[in-house]
Amino acid sequence: MAQLIADRRDIDFLLHEVLNVEQFSRHDRFADFNRKTVDMVVSEARNFAVKEMLPTWKEGDEQGCSFEAGKVTIPESFHRLYQLFNDGEWLSMNEDPEWGGQGMPKSVSSAASEYFNGANFPFMMYPSLTHGAGKLVEEFGTEEQKKTYLKNLYTGKWTGTMLLTEAGAGSDVGALETTARKNPDGTYSITGTKIFISGGDHELAENIVHPVLARIEGAPAGTKGISLFLVPKFRVNPDGTPGAFNDVVCTGIEHKMGIHGSSTCTLTLGGSGQCLGTLLGEENKGMKAMFVMMNEARLLVGMQGFSCATTAYMYAVNYAKERVQGASLVQPNEGGVPIIRHPDVRRQLLTMKSYVEGMRTLLYFVGYCNDMVAVAGDQAVRERYQGLIEILTPLAKGYVTDKAFEVCNHAIQVYGGYGYVEEYPVAQLMRDCRITQIYEGTNGIQAMDLLGRKLGMNKGAVVMDLIGEIKKTLRTAKEIEFLAPHTQKVGAALEKLGAVAQQLGKTAASDRVLYAFAHAYPFLEVTGDVIVAWLLLWRGTVAAQKLGSAKGKDVPFYEGILKSLEFFTTSVLPVTLGKMEAINGANGACVEISEESFNG
Amino acid sequence: MEILVCVKRVPDTAENEFVMNSAGNDIERDDLVYSVNEWDNYAVEEAIQIVEKVGGSVTVVTAADADADEILRREMAMGAENGLLLNDDAFVGSDCKGIAHILKGAVGKGNYDLILTGAQADEGSGAVGGMLAAMLDLPYASLVNRVEVGDGKLTVGREIEGGRREINEITLPCVLSIQTGINEPRYVGVRGIRKVASVEIPALGAAELGIDASCVGAKGAAVRKLDYFVPVKGAGAEMLAGSAEEIADKLVEILKTNGGIS
Repeated sequence: MAQLIADRRDIDFLLHEVLNVEQFSRHDRFADFNRKTVDMVVSEARNFAVKEMLPTWKEGDEQGCSFEAGKVTIPESFHRLYQLFNDGEWLSMNEDPEWGGQGMPKSVSSAASEYFNGANFPFMMYPSLTHGAGKLVEEFGTEEQKKTYLKNLYTGKWTGTMLLTEAGAGSDVGALETTARKNPDGTYSITGTKIFISGGDHELAENIVHPVLARIEGAPAGTKGISLFLVPKFRVNPDGTPGAFNDVVCTGIEHKMGIHGSSTCTLTLGGSGQCLGTLLGEENKGMKAMFVMMNEARLLVGMQGFSCATTAYMYAVNYAKERVQGASLVQPNEGGVPIIRHPDVRRQLLTMKSYVEGMRTLLYFVGYCNDMVAVAGDQAVRERYQGLIEILTPLAKGYVTDKAFEVCNHAIQVYGGYGYVEEYPVAQLMRDCRITQIYEGTNGIQAMDLLGRKLGMNKGAVVMDLIGEIKKTLRTAKEIEFLAPHTQKVGAALEKLGAVAQQLGKTAASDRVLYAFAHAYPFLEVTGDVIVAWLLLWRGTVAAQKLGSAKGKDVPFYEGILKSLEFFTTSVLPVTLGKMEAINGANGACVEISEESFNG
Repeated sequence: MEILVCVKRVPDTAENEFVMNSAGNDIERDDLVYSVNEWDNYAVEEAIQIVEKVGGSVTVVTAADADADEILRREMAMGAENGLLLNDDAFVGSDCKGIAHILKGAVGKGNYDLILTGAQADEGSGAVGGMLAAMLDLPYASLVNRVEVGDGKLTVGREIEGGRREINEITLPCVLSIQTGINEPRYVGVRGIRKVASVEIPALGAAELGIDASCVGAKGAAVRKLDYFVPVKGAGAEMLAGSAEEIADKLVEILKTNGGIS
């Protein structure tokens, strides 16, 4: 049977041969995570994903969620799955064992996460959002709040959500209208309506904890007057059990293009004046707290999108090896051949392969940076890796999810007409994947974040650190003669990207700011391409050094790594360079065109 | 109850695409991904469930090379307390009798009330459990799909040809070969994995087990594999035609006629 979801050999290559994650087990906090443990984590995550999660994915899509008589029903199979997932304690792989976590390095949990999200990302919305809510309590909660909520969230006993969006406050969170009025006992009465709330209501767990953004009466307008509150669906009794209903009412669910198994709710808080919350963090500092969650959520969304891509790629490559259709161009009389022998199918598969490998490496590398932050004894090293995480986050979300969708699109094309039919899995993957380009900050917002915030972080020091990482790989690659053409191309692309960034930065700081931001998205895209080229080169340096002594299946595997690099530097990077030219041109058509000219 | 479960590391059918080796006498075993034999996993789960009910401990044992440490560790992460690796160059090439002989040595190192094996493994012989019981002079039940613990004895259900079942009483100590479907093996969670992170699994060789090396391994093997192949596709397959419902009805009828379902 062919592999599903992910290429296990590539995961092993990345974890052990590229990132050497076993190094983290030298530190006390990760001492358990030696090679054997890491391998078992990946194997068992894969085992659970394939045997339990994948079989409920299509069923979850077909059943979807329903809303009748005020009750939200999610796919039936998700209930057992959620229990099994929690039994395995997979929800809080990285967190402190004191609060129910498993203390795992993020680089390692990335592999488990890839399998879980690849198998059933709509289901994974529930535990993932729960984890995010728990993270907020851990970071900003009082001891009392931690005692009440944290272990319940990190173990999945209760689920969590994130209540930001309102009808008039989507990308512009500062426009929200939900209010909080302080009560004499220190609690707050919350009133408002939130929309697009993933996992907002269901019967998966005995309580749902909603972190809610709201404005305390009299607080300043905009984001400066936003505070964060913890609002449970059921108030918590003194003994820690769920008590009275807290006036959080689901008034409807959305009927979406994909992720049908994930309930997306409209929630009315305090419709009867009985919704109580407690302040999480400081008054009017809600956005700061929410960014902690959003940064994690953005990386998660990158993983969700990527997981659709890797799963789609595995399906496509397996299908292309089995589907016989059309004779070979060079042996026209020999009968039909598997479509993987046709050049255009190979082009698509290699496009998918190189992006999937590049994206996997990017996401795991961000996990690796988190682990370096966790173990670094030196403040400067910590700050350096923290900076790398921050500058790579808009790419890990914005670039990755866009390319992931493209990979899903290619998978449908490889399947041909069958790809467009719901009987085959790739159509659902593409539908599920689409949301990842939108939520947690649209990819346009990610592009603005990269250009407007991240490029100038620490007066450009973070960018320089990233360039330093890339140059480190270039230096290693230069020692390998065989890689010379690719090393040269990646080096040239990096140099050109630096010039583009500098010029775009200057434009953004001038009165032509709109012209600069009109090119923010293309800039995100070319930066992502150069990052992927770098990471493929990094992988190539490892593969090139191992190929000589490789045996058996390792030979074609390492050759495949090098072919991904070759394809990307020769077929993708030239296009990237052209896009850079367009950015440098900073053409103003889209700024200057009048609104009346957009349509007749 | 002290329970010993014999397990085997086998190529993972979900992870590998099998090809014949160049000699044509086996599958190509280089680069394969391995996991625990599925039947053995049910046996370990059954043992864990018995211990959860009546107390005691579960030990998992395998006769294999050092790489098999990974499946022992995996079954310990699942809930077995102890692991035991039987590893010696002299064991290489053992036939079923040889493996049973090696396992007998491991049984002698403990004080087990119950010994479980999977009903069969990747090579489909289904022979080790019965041979081990005979060598130990213990009662044996095969294809067990239900176990209830009594006082000094077990009540075991067995799967019989044609979907029939029988119930037997068997005195302890005894050997059972476990059929899949007897239970629902639990998944291995992160806590279990962490628990075995630093566990040292003892390895015993022929000398420690008191085994005469000439009785095991290739030298001691009385059964040798001569050939291994995928049969040529023959005639005789019946293609069912009709609507999905008609095909399903015909299939049920065929299965009933041939004893696949009752």
